[in-house]
Amino acid sequence: MTLDALNYIVALPEIFLLSMTCVVLVVDVSLRDAQRNASYVLAQLSLLGTFLLLLSGMTDARIYAFNDMFVQDGMADLLKLFVVAIVAVVFVYSRDYLKGRSIFKGEYYLLGLFATLGMMLMISSASLLMLYLGLELLSLCLYAMVALHRDNGNASEAAMKYFVLGAIASGMLLYGMSILYGLSGSLMLVDIAHAVTQTGSTDIGMVFALVFVLVALMFKLGAVPFHMWVPDVYQGSPTAVTVFLSTAPKLAGFAIIMRLLVEALGGLHTDWQQMLVILAVLSMAIGNIVAIAQANIKRMLAYSTISHVGFIILGILAASAEGYASAMFYTIAYALMSLGGFGIIMLLARSGFEADQLDDFKGLNQRSPWFAFMMLILMFSMAGVPPTLGFWAKLAVLKSIIHIDMVWLAGVAVFFSIIGVFYYLRIIKLMYFDKQQDNTPLQCSTDMQFVLSGNALLILALGLYPTSLMVLCVSVFT
Amino acid sequence: MMISLSSYLILGAILFAISIAGIFLNRKNVVVLLMCIELMLLAANINFVAFSHYLNDLAGQVFVFFILTVAAAEAAIGLAILVVLFRNRRTIDVEQLNEMKG
Amino acid sequence: MTFTDFIFFAFSALLLASAMGVITARNPVHSALFLVLSFFSCSALWLLLEAEFLAIALVLVYVGAVMVLFLFIVMMLDINLVQMREGFVRYLPVGVFFALCLVGIMIWVVGDFSAGVFEVPTLQQAVQHGADYSNTKALGRVIYTDYVLPFEIAAVILLVAIIAAIILTMRRREMTKYQTPSKQVMVKRNDRLRIVKMEATVEESE
Repeated sequence: MTLDALNYIVALPEIFLLSMTCVVLVVDVSLRDAQRNASYVLAQLSLLGTFLLLLSGMTDARIYAFNDMFVQDGMADLLKLFVVAIVAVVFVYSRDYLKGRSIFKGEYYLLGLFATLGMMLMISSASLLMLYLGLELLSLCLYAMVALHRDNGNASEAAMKYFVLGAIASGMLLYGMSILYGLSGSLMLVDIAHAVTQTGSTDIGMVFALVFVLVALMFKLGAVPFHMWVPDVYQGSPTAVTVFLSTAPKLAGFAIIMRLLVEALGGLHTDWQQMLVILAVLSMAIGNIVAIAQANIKRMLAYSTISHVGFIILGILAASAEGYASAMFYTIAYALMSLGGFGIIMLLARSGFEADQLDDFKGLNQRSPWFAFMMLILMFSMAGVPPTLGFWAKLAVLKSIIHIDMVWLAGVAVFFSIIGVFYYLRIIKLMYFDKQQDNTPLQCSTDMQFVLSGNALLILALGLYPTSLMVLCVSVFT
Repeated sequence: MMISLSSYLILGAILFAISIAGIFLNRKNVVVLLMCIELMLLAANINFVAFSHYLNDLAGQVFVFFILTVAAAEAAIGLAILVVLFRNRRTIDVEQLNEMKG
Repeated sequence: MTFTDFIFFAFSALLLASAMGVITARNPVHSALFLVLSFFSCSALWLLLEAEFLAIALVLVYVGAVMVLFLFIVMMLDINLVQMREGFVRYLPVGVFFALCLVGIMIWVVGDFSAGVFEVPTLQQAVQHGADYSNTKALGRVIYTDYVLPFEIAAVILLVAIIAAIILTMRRREMTKYQTPSKQVMVKRNDRLRIVKMEATVEESE
């Protein structure tokens, strides 16, 4: 076997990212605390390089590498581009926040870059082994990042809960994978798909494995009733970590569901469709209703995430190319909105002040009309008010559900979305109609203000011209 | 050879159920909870090795090799988080970890 | 009942008994030691399945390293054992009920009782390798060629574990006093000793 047979050039972005991460690691060790900006700049350069390599290597074909364990296709390209871009923006947002809390260390960027590598591998995996390793690489980095602020009791509590539930989910996933391996005799997703079509969708062993795999995936994604960790982790982690784990990993989570449920177990779609209907309805119900009772905005956004996950599941359970495209569109839209939402929280936060209570948003319009407007766009988009990106995302998912004759399910989704509008509008009311309590002027770097404004305006722009992103999403599933 | 594949699979299934029961029972002690998770991984590993033997295919054993590696890394991170938690809260009781509610 | 059957049933019983020990032991140290026993009996079963390398790795890596880490942590943390036991009895019925249901369903699926599952013809006939077959060699051959990408990622995962464990637990204590041997050795006479010129004084007697 020669080196060329591995076709390793396909994985060039990943190889570049890994090499650069090692460079950051070595450079960071030799830096003094005052020079940490160098680690930040290097991390951003690595992401930029990876982004450019991804862009230059884009292809419509389906290319396998590393003995068919690594796959490059349209979906992988698009998701990876968004993952890398979102992580870069997260790094911009979190710099001031980390500096204000004495956790501005190279480790945040190192773990972030390793997590990005894990996500890219998950997105590109074509075998159970690669899926598992990519997922674990991502999860291990996230556990450590949540606990990064180690003098903070809430952060370590959140990390412990996240770790225990995440590890249980991994155990479940492995058990399900072992049954899949036994039934198909191979770890390759293609062979498993072949075995499923041979045995048929009534095979009890396959359904048995499917249950374990599905439960594990829903744990990782945070769908009800496997959502217990989401609010605590979102609230307890430093906001710089919350924004990381609420954005890019959701894209990787979508990819892993596509690879496992659709590519490998697509033959069982009648089985998983029914299970996903229950999970989606529960997620939308619990997420939207419990969010109303929250006083902590990070916790509120956590419940809002759960409801958005419900919508993503809706798109997937349509089990049609249109449904997958709409779910992908929704996931990307959600990641962009969540990025902006937590970005605003970090904009208001300063050293010794978290700005994570709803009351901290009172009278934001008087303090900074521009960012109050940005928050208005973000909240409208999360609520699904036209003409923002969130509206088109919800519409696309609902359309795909109606096309498979599940009108009642679309009705349920609309009903819970309307309940959800209430708590998003409450923030807008607090910002525009309440007296301000805090007169401190906003203090953050210009680059963050610039990127954050761009983030919110992008959501508005994509809301006005949604076809560009939609066409991209549809093109990868045809 | 008399022992069938099913014997190994049943063994793995019982071990998996024991680990789930352990997670239910040991709500108080995070260290034992982590040990239950190790048992769960062991159950999956038994399945993989058994299938690998009866399929005469090495892939299953390779997977177990990687699971062992990852599980060791996972245990290291889990215990590190546990130590940090104990320093902050002076307890490893799951039920006392309720500072955040809602 | 052949000898291999005996080995299988003996070590399976030991494995399940020690697993029960892990979840019911009163003292976490005992749990950890029971876990060592379950890993050991499991590795004996893997030898039966001709997975010699993994059996040895399980003992070396798990019993030798991971469980020692567990024991170290259990003994390092000052855990109130009496308090830890509260709630065990309360959750016992739920736990046992749930476990029995689970085990029932799982055995029904993976056992011989259900029809059709795991009756793929290639499955049931395991190949018995001869004495000259090296499991380690076969594994090594595929891990470094076919599975080179997972192998690299596993290395990255271990690196992440090292970084994470260090950043989470290493802290520089300000009270600690260090000795620097190189500085001690490099000391010159002038650093320690100062000769002061003084006028000779004579103490006058009264």
